[in-house]
Amino acid sequence: MTARGTALLVALLATLAGYLWVVELAPRRAAPPTAAEAPPLLPVPPAAVARVELAEGERRVTAVRGERGWTDAAGRPWSEGALSDLLAALGALRPLTTVDPDPAVPGDYGLGPGARRLELTAADGRPLLALELGERNPAWTGLYARRAGEPAVLLVGGVLGWELEKLRQAAPEANP
Amino acid sequence: MQLCMRLCAAILAAGALTAAAEEQPWTLEASNWEKGKDLLPEPVVKRLQKGEYWFKVVSADPSRFHHNYSQAFWDATEKNAGRYDLDEKTCGLKDKATDKIPDFVFGLPFPQIDKTDAKAGCKIAWNFTMAGAMGGGGGATFTLNGVDTGGQFRRIKAFIHTRGYQGRHFGPLKDNPEGLSGEAIAGALEPVDVEGVSTLTKRYWNWDGQDAVWAYVPSTRRARRVNSASRSDPVAGLDIFADDLNCYGGKVEYYQWKLVGEQTILAPLLQPYPFPSKSVSPTRQLIDTPYMAAGYEVPNAKGAPWWIQQNLVFVPRPVWIVEGQSSDPYYNFGKVIMYFDKEMYRIYWKQVHNRAGEYFYTAMCGYHFVKNDETFSAVFPNLVVGVNDKTNRAALGGRYQSSFLEQSWDPSYFSLRTLTHMTD
Repeated sequence: MTARGTALLVALLATLAGYLWVVELAPRRAAPPTAAEAPPLLPVPPAAVARVELAEGERRVTAVRGERGWTDAAGRPWSEGALSDLLAALGALRPLTTVDPDPAVPGDYGLGPGARRLELTAADGRPLLALELGERNPAWTGLYARRAGEPAVLLVGGVLGWELEKLRQAAPEANP
Repeated sequence: MQLCMRLCAAILAAGALTAAAEEQPWTLEASNWEKGKDLLPEPVVKRLQKGEYWFKVVSADPSRFHHNYSQAFWDATEKNAGRYDLDEKTCGLKDKATDKIPDFVFGLPFPQIDKTDAKAGCKIAWNFTMAGAMGGGGGATFTLNGVDTGGQFRRIKAFIHTRGYQGRHFGPLKDNPEGLSGEAIAGALEPVDVEGVSTLTKRYWNWDGQDAVWAYVPSTRRARRVNSASRSDPVAGLDIFADDLNCYGGKVEYYQWKLVGEQTILAPLLQPYPFPSKSVSPTRQLIDTPYMAAGYEVPNAKGAPWWIQQNLVFVPRPVWIVEGQSSDPYYNFGKVIMYFDKEMYRIYWKQVHNRAGEYFYTAMCGYHFVKNDETFSAVFPNLVVGVNDKTNRAALGGRYQSSFLEQSWDPSYFSLRTLTHMTD
């Protein structure tokens, strides 16, 4: 091969490498974080949660962590399972997607006035998580939700609906 | 004469009681869906409301239903009280007398479940495993049907042959050199593109061993070892999973189990009481069962195309609600919610979430019982209706019309040699 041929080959390889770097690899490096990489709904360990409150219309389910475990607002003890499962689920669940960044009618998702509200607070009263909970999506796979004070409607895994149902069933008033 | 009259009166009274216990069959459908809202998993109620599903509800006399399993099984269950415990780390079954895995178990290992016991979920899973093993082994040729709203899009005909070493009537088998609890060969028969694709599974009777699974593909003429977590992979691209057999197909030790509730649920059964079997050899019994046609097979059928139209009844049964979760990072399912019969320990329904917590799938698992006398009985999984609510597609598995029980397979049958020579 002549020196000119070698130079042409090197130039061709350099062009190909440049193409690979710029067109194929760069977008991957610059890709935005996926939904799976979003932080969990509850970004602190479950042990940091001192109070759980679920408000559904007139009904309010409360759990307060004390020295002798969880009790409701009237001091009746909770059995451990449903609360620890809920906190574990919130610590693992990440929003699956943002369904609508700013809905004109939040009621279409079962959100807005009258929606269920879940609030978790720390021992010092600091809010750890405040969620407005809407309806199931049509395929029943997830639940619409949004963080308090934020307009964006999120879709979270349907397992949250299951854990909330367990919480309702386990509430001391449901088990006199 | 007086004695005869008393006996007749007693028999009549017993008959009246049985009749009272067995109410008239009724249909749960869209027009009366509220009657079923607490008898079915939520995603199923949603389809009931829409008229996609309906249920022929047949009650069963509790005492007669109990005797769907042999007296030998119930006697062994009674004797098992207090004999077993669980290994703390793995949830493996432990003989209290030796602190080791028992040599052989027959009957339910935990006749009494205390719902406040932290280990209750795992004990329920062990009862389920041992109830399912009582038949000892056998096989059937069945179909897998992929069905969407337009009808059937794929059909696979396959077979499965199994041998159980644990839980069987008539005691342990003499030879078990590999220390197995069971083994199985399954293979595809139709269509041509999958014909001969087959698997060999060996399940070890230990607390921490993974199943050994080999898959054979005729075009490569090679059997290769596959990860046992593939039980959560779709079978042949359909909305059905290897773990759907009996609604749970893994070892008890693969999951963390948690009892979270109890309720009454509609149990899908071919019929409430046992089918007879007929002997065709000293070791083999045949069972004939009717075909369960689905909507896509019946002209002018109503409801979802995958919904069973014939020969399926639903018996209200008390169940434990148990959560199961695998810690294997290669297992695709997240939290699985299962409904176990409190007495017969069959799983009738399961709801599956993926690892992101998204619900996507419900499986309905149907069964039939087989019993000729009080020395032997078996329970067969005969139907899985797996519905992917995310894609609105389903798969049907099972629905065989003939099955067999085999007490004495050729010792070398469940081997790689059989697997690789299946298409010779």
